[in-house]
Amino acid sequence: MWAYIIRRVLATIPVMAFVALFVFSLLYLAPGDPAAVIAGDQATPDDVERIRASLGLDRPYLVRFSEWVFRILQGDLGTSIFTNLPVGHMIAQRIEPTLSLMIVTLCLALSIAIPMGVVAAWKQGTWIDRAVMGFAVLGFSVPVFVVGYLLAYVFALELDWFPVQGYTPFAQGFFPWIENLVLPAVALGGVYIALIARITRATMLEVLQQDYIRTARAKGAGQSSILFLHALKNAAVPIVTVVGIGIALLIGGAVVTESVFAIPGLGRLTVDAILRRDYPVIQGVVLLFSFVYVLVNLGIDLLYTFLDPRIRY
Amino acid sequence: MRRRSMMMAAMAGPALAQGSAARTLRVIPQANLTSLDPVWTTAVVTRNHGMMVYDNITTVNLAGEVRPQMAEGWEISAEGRQWDFTLRPGLKFHDNEPVRAADCVASIRRWAARDSFGQVLWTAVDELSVLDDRRFRFRLKRPFPFLALAMGRSQGPVPVLPERLAATDPFQQVRDATGSGPFRFVANEWNPGSRAVWAKFDGYVPRQEPVDGLAGGRAARIDRVEWSVIPDPATAANAMQTGEQDYWEYPLHDLLPLIRRNRQVVVEQRLSSGFYGCLRFNHLHAPFNNVAIRRAVAMAVDQRDYLRAVAGEDPAGWGVCEGVFTCDTAMANDEGSEVLKTRNIEAARAALRAAGYNNERVVLVAPGDYPQINALSLVTADLLRRLGMNVEVISADWGTLVQRRTSREPVERGGWSVIHTTAGGDALDTPPVHLFLRSNGRDAWFGWPEDALIEQLRAEWLEAAEPAQARRIAGALNRRAMETLPYVPLGYYWQPSVWRRNVTNVFRSPATVFWGIGKS
Repeated sequence: MWAYIIRRVLATIPVMAFVALFVFSLLYLAPGDPAAVIAGDQATPDDVERIRASLGLDRPYLVRFSEWVFRILQGDLGTSIFTNLPVGHMIAQRIEPTLSLMIVTLCLALSIAIPMGVVAAWKQGTWIDRAVMGFAVLGFSVPVFVVGYLLAYVFALELDWFPVQGYTPFAQGFFPWIENLVLPAVALGGVYIALIARITRATMLEVLQQDYIRTARAKGAGQSSILFLHALKNAAVPIVTVVGIGIALLIGGAVVTESVFAIPGLGRLTVDAILRRDYPVIQGVVLLFSFVYVLVNLGIDLLYTFLDPRIRY
Repeated sequence: MRRRSMMMAAMAGPALAQGSAARTLRVIPQANLTSLDPVWTTAVVTRNHGMMVYDNITTVNLAGEVRPQMAEGWEISAEGRQWDFTLRPGLKFHDNEPVRAADCVASIRRWAARDSFGQVLWTAVDELSVLDDRRFRFRLKRPFPFLALAMGRSQGPVPVLPERLAATDPFQQVRDATGSGPFRFVANEWNPGSRAVWAKFDGYVPRQEPVDGLAGGRAARIDRVEWSVIPDPATAANAMQTGEQDYWEYPLHDLLPLIRRNRQVVVEQRLSSGFYGCLRFNHLHAPFNNVAIRRAVAMAVDQRDYLRAVAGEDPAGWGVCEGVFTCDTAMANDEGSEVLKTRNIEAARAALRAAGYNNERVVLVAPGDYPQINALSLVTADLLRRLGMNVEVISADWGTLVQRRTSREPVERGGWSVIHTTAGGDALDTPPVHLFLRSNGRDAWFGWPEDALIEQLRAEWLEAAEPAQARRIAGALNRRAMETLPYVPLGYYWQPSVWRRNVTNVFRSPATVFWGIGKS
């Protein structure tokens, strides 16, 4: 097992190297010029040229790439072209809101979606099953920003139960923290709930047909015991896989959700950096997201061994 | 008070909650504050930050007249070649060091290397020297009557930094926002893209005169100004309605009718000048290297179509301005502007045919993420198509557009034919600051028009001794601009601001500033 973990961790190095090369090259080739953005709308072409030179953006690709890689190897993600702040510092400022949003969304989604899927499978063909699947279709179909605006209108503007926007750090108390996250988490969680509920239902339906479930029923096991102890445990591997894949959905969805609810997270940092062509920030955030994604996949793979003892690496 | 606000106030303790809220102004700025150096970037949001943090030697009042700010006053020698400035006593930087003439001199040098009016001024400066801690002197090669105005212009006044910071290369960003203005920047609360905070500077000594535009006493009446960047306009509108924010600098015009329904908010025009639209041709390549084709397009332009697209149907929200200088200012005139008053698509079609338009491809780049400029672009695209031109509209984000417009290549090799932008009225009110008018070829603003007469008139204006002479030259400039059309003026729209009713003493000003404003 440890050898496997070490192998997988080492395998992240070429993956990250490829991501680094890809991101750097893509940004190099993409249109846009931070010098022109910095100079402002009233600047002359000469101003733009001088700013470009002062930022070193007029140097050859290989020189810039090798300098960047050299800094990355030293653990330095560089400095934002615009703010002059270290990229590491800017990312650190934004991690907590995004992490909080993802954790709350994940908890909300799992606590709603799994019971929904289980109940839908148990009550297959009934109105409950149809209602759950109808909700799943809705969850997939309605974009996050539409749900976000609707929630904000009803629960913030009309009912005044939650704030419209913003984020309060956890250090300032649980209530202010969670208050700012409820609406964004519900908005972001819709797709995720739909996805997990559908997979849970499909997998449970398959498992509930198995002989050992019939045996459990014949032995007189209770319904909840059959559903949650015998069936759900055996249906867990595909569900966990989908949860892992869904984290990529969450990262993507967080960009929109953070914009709608003005949460100062990594998603907004990425969008702002892309719009301004703040290359060091884009590169730093994309590297971080790739690293997180590789780690999540590793975690999921390891989780399989606990959920299904037959799986060995 | 709304339910949730009441609950939160009760949890925080009534006196504490009300007190801190009343002393803090929560603002939604027009853009994200990404850089702190108003010399390094001309971004409006950085200029507004600069207004809070950095004091200015001179400034302008609501009428656009120059007034002393840090300066107690200045003396001009009889022949106009020597200006001696004296600073007010008691001025201090945020690190409590006194403001000295040497700080002003270093700051002026740095500013003059980047600011457009500063560069013009610098061509007339023979020497800038420190006389003592409170006095400094300009010695000029030739009289420059606009010296005090150049340093205090609302668009880009001289930000006075400590000498140690002002020594920074003007093309490098100053990292330390120490100034001597009425507010100090709270660097450790800055989260770019989300939040920026300023605190009242207790050591600031305001002038005694009442506030008048940017002039008069810059006394802070609130303890803190907190900017929260809310990128989505609908969310910002909601935050204003629920009272989560107190002031919204640039609300989207589309949302104004909704916001006006809420009796707790005020929607008013605070900025003293509107925003002027500009249709810019690329003068280097066909078809717009042909002045007759540029004129044909101008004949079809009806500014009202553009302004409705940007600011809505209500004519109170915009104004037609068929000259190159900011309307209702000293230089405003419409001499020779008949071409813009044609507003006739049939006549324009005939003129286009006569001009020899040969179906050359016209590439119009529109910024999809910039609602106002995008609207101007789409109106032009429609206009050019109705004229029968071969138009390709490229929708890009602003970051792509500002790079593409630097390209001098023809459209087949990634160039462009038409772009649009907007500028505040204070950027177009006099010839030296008017970038769109410059016609010095490769050194001109993007589009690179070339016309020796415009450049000559601009130089003559700078040496005009009398206001009447300056106005005459401005008339000649307008006439010539309408002949060569370096750009097509598209009129102006007002950009109102929104604030909660408990925000008090909001005054009209050429820039969004927060001194003088209180909160009950």
